[in-house]
Amino acid sequence: MAAFDIVVIGAGPGGYPAAIRAAQLGASVALVEKEEMGGTCLNWGCIPTKTLIASSELFARIKTAGSMGLRVDNASFDYAAMADRKDQIILKLRNGIKQLLKANGVTVFQGSASFQSRNRIQVDPSVPDVAPGFSPAPATPLGSSPGGAALKGGATAATVILTAGKTIISTGATSAMPGFLPRHERVVESRAFLGLRALPAATLILGGGIIGCEFACMLAQLGVKVTMVELLEDIVAVVDADVRRELRRHMEKTLGIRILTGVTLEEITADDHGVRGRAGQEQLEADLLLVALGRKPVTSSLKLENAGLAPNERGFLDVDAYGRTNVATVYAVGDVTGGPLLAHAATAQGLVAAENACGRYLHKNETLVPNCIFTTPEIGTVGLGEQEAKQQGRKIKTGKYQFAALGKALAIGEPIGFVKWVADAETEQLLGAHAVGPHATDIIAEAAVAIRAELTAADLAHTVHAHPTLAEAWMEAAHVLMGEPIHSAPPRKEKKSE
Amino acid sequence: MVKAVIMPKLGQSEETVKIVRWRKQLGETVAKGDILFEIETDKAVLEVESFYEGTLLKIVAAEGVTVPVQTTVAFVGDPGEPVPEVALTPVAPKKAEASRPGAAPSPQRGSAVDRGPISPPPQAGVGPAGPCAVAAPAAIAEPQLFRISPRAAKLARESVIDPAPIVGTGPRGRIVERDVKQYLEAQGYGRLRISPTAKKLAAREGINLLSIEKKLEGSQTTVADIERLLAERPKPLSRMRQIIAQRLTESYTHAPHFFVTVSADVTELESLRAELKAQGTAYTLTDFILKAAALALEQFPTVNSTSDGESIRLHSQIHLGLAVALEQGLVVPVIRQANELTLAEIHARAQDLTAKARAGQLTPAEMTGSTFTISNLGMMDVENFTAIINPGESAILAVATTAKLPVVKNDQVVIRSMMKMTLSSDHRLIDGALAARFLNSIRKSLEEKSLWQRLT
Repeated sequence: MAAFDIVVIGAGPGGYPAAIRAAQLGASVALVEKEEMGGTCLNWGCIPTKTLIASSELFARIKTAGSMGLRVDNASFDYAAMADRKDQIILKLRNGIKQLLKANGVTVFQGSASFQSRNRIQVDPSVPDVAPGFSPAPATPLGSSPGGAALKGGATAATVILTAGKTIISTGATSAMPGFLPRHERVVESRAFLGLRALPAATLILGGGIIGCEFACMLAQLGVKVTMVELLEDIVAVVDADVRRELRRHMEKTLGIRILTGVTLEEITADDHGVRGRAGQEQLEADLLLVALGRKPVTSSLKLENAGLAPNERGFLDVDAYGRTNVATVYAVGDVTGGPLLAHAATAQGLVAAENACGRYLHKNETLVPNCIFTTPEIGTVGLGEQEAKQQGRKIKTGKYQFAALGKALAIGEPIGFVKWVADAETEQLLGAHAVGPHATDIIAEAAVAIRAELTAADLAHTVHAHPTLAEAWMEAAHVLMGEPIHSAPPRKEKKSE
Repeated sequence: MVKAVIMPKLGQSEETVKIVRWRKQLGETVAKGDILFEIETDKAVLEVESFYEGTLLKIVAAEGVTVPVQTTVAFVGDPGEPVPEVALTPVAPKKAEASRPGAAPSPQRGSAVDRGPISPPPQAGVGPAGPCAVAAPAAIAEPQLFRISPRAAKLARESVIDPAPIVGTGPRGRIVERDVKQYLEAQGYGRLRISPTAKKLAAREGINLLSIEKKLEGSQTTVADIERLLAERPKPLSRMRQIIAQRLTESYTHAPHFFVTVSADVTELESLRAELKAQGTAYTLTDFILKAAALALEQFPTVNSTSDGESIRLHSQIHLGLAVALEQGLVVPVIRQANELTLAEIHARAQDLTAKARAGQLTPAEMTGSTFTISNLGMMDVENFTAIINPGESAILAVATTAKLPVVKNDQVVIRSMMKMTLSSDHRLIDGALAARFLNSIRKSLEEKSLWQRLT
């Protein structure tokens, strides 16, 4: 038996930073991970998808480079090589985490954790098949990545019991795969998809959320015929309507993605020749069905009841603003707590939970979390949305600025999309920011700083922004919000009758 | 034709009435039945309707003015019609009224929160208001000799601080810019951390930045902090709460209260009530208590009396007040001549008045003249409580929730439905023994099933 001040369960973007911060604060820390360092984000989420998207976007730009005076004929790609590059980046980052943990004196246990009591945690050697979905990656017909097995670290040989002063649960979430889906290797969720070594010619995507849209854009750029089916009336319902409209227009017009909304995919079948389904009156057919119907928390193996913990009706662990569960010594962070299901939110919560668990001084989880969507065009949003404000009955002002009017956006050949501020009508306090267009996911950072610092539109508008940059759009939009735009038409004034 | 709007006489006792708000403005069209203005009596705030239609041509008695009943307060007629001159004879407001927080002027602008040190000096020579004094509140007097240079005032304003505590070193003690700078430095202004929006809000709401309490050393003052301060700002009580405050404070400080509690066994009564309900008449427990109280008051007339400390006035009639809780406060409609009503009539009257109270439709007459009051918190799950005597009466009965309890009957522990009642009495009129006899008389009535079988 080994005793630790803090035991962290799950080494994803919530868990490993928590372990490092707790160790920095002088605690003895154990980190239990049943699969890979870095969790979903690094291995099967953010990093691999963004690596592939970088390739697909570059390819798409090369194909349209003629408009910028370049002649690139016969451009082609090798998806297996793209996948190799992805695996190498994962390996590099994963090793980086291992070194960080070692340097900070965190003891890593490879295995599956479960509670014996609120302060005793059992670690069993990992069961090899833990991949979500129906089949582990190797069996896909289109070839699979050898990376998965080769990158694995050593597992715990025998069961170990840890005693914990405080525990931080950061076990994350996994793709939801409802029972109505056929169990077949041509029906995959995001993680299994990332194990593929070749692309299907046609893909059906079930679910028009963030994950579904990102995959759709990437695949379409690589020449895959994509059809997307979404039950709701529109795709990415979490973002403002005008942002949504802009994205959908580009996905349909520029990338040629078929998007069916407000309709369910029924009578889904899969066999060795392909997948089929019916959307309304229409029969759909493809080589692969990618399921992106949301995420569900990973708690089933934890034996939460032994610690006195109870998940809520949706299976997530409720926590208070300080990251505490209903058991005083147990904290939870990241996807397993519900919330925005974002790596950076998990990291922020992990650091807060570690500091609170170490009794440094209490502070609350940040509530302002930017959301980035790596579609083409990209989307970055943070804070209050326009529709959300209206639902709350809050009086707001907005200021919007089109990239088509911005020199830099024209210069780089991406004059699409816009940025938009949402501000309090009276004080002009900046409350929300929404960007769709080139590098929207990067430039949203400035908006997050401004909102968290409670800046007013005037503060932002009077901050000198370098020219020519995409970030100037925020300044211009702030001017628009204040009714004194420089680089767009002034607001229409009411005619005075003489 | 020009018609005079006359202040109505509201009840037996009202001699003067205060106009709290004009709902119609000068020159506005008035229809018959429109609410013209709101008035405040000793007991409530009421709305006064117009009997005429036309245009509000003149307001004789302004807001805040207290006038005798039956005097002209306004004129309604056709636009442009000549209006007769009328001399208004307002009366001085009662002292208690004048000092109430609600009588203060509208929320102060400027550095209101931290005004303390610079409140205007007491105004010498202003005695009690004479017959012509109007109760309109005086504006907040700006300090007359507060000398500050424009540059210094601008710096103070931009720093969102109150310059009042600054000691001036300019000519004749005038505060100059240098003084403000030194003050800011001495107060550690440079170490304050506040978000831009929070500062803007503070400036708009007149919150002195130096008065904001620090949460954590070094933490930034945010919009949420300012909003919390604004939420904590004193706000005038609603008119109804002001009246409650005034009347109950008067009662509790003038009448020496003492309290006697009994437990009534209402098991039999409850079973009778259930029987009657099955037969189609849904009496409430309150109905029985009202009737039992009326019977007891006939027997003990001293409890049905009023005193000013020097004389006693025995009321010949029994008018029962029934406290009704509303969202915004409490009203006490009155069941008149309760001793002459049957239980069924009491029931009908109580239902009617309670419904009217909840709808805000009680007339002044229905809220005045009670000689004894009952406050029933039975539906609120309380074991026992004490009530404050309604001013002008000598006792009040507080009724708590009926609960099944183990009690000893004939040396046996049995389960009975028990209801606690506490009588608050004015000791100037009622002694302990009388209170006990009176209260036990009510208890005995409630416990006597045969009595109710006769009365229903």
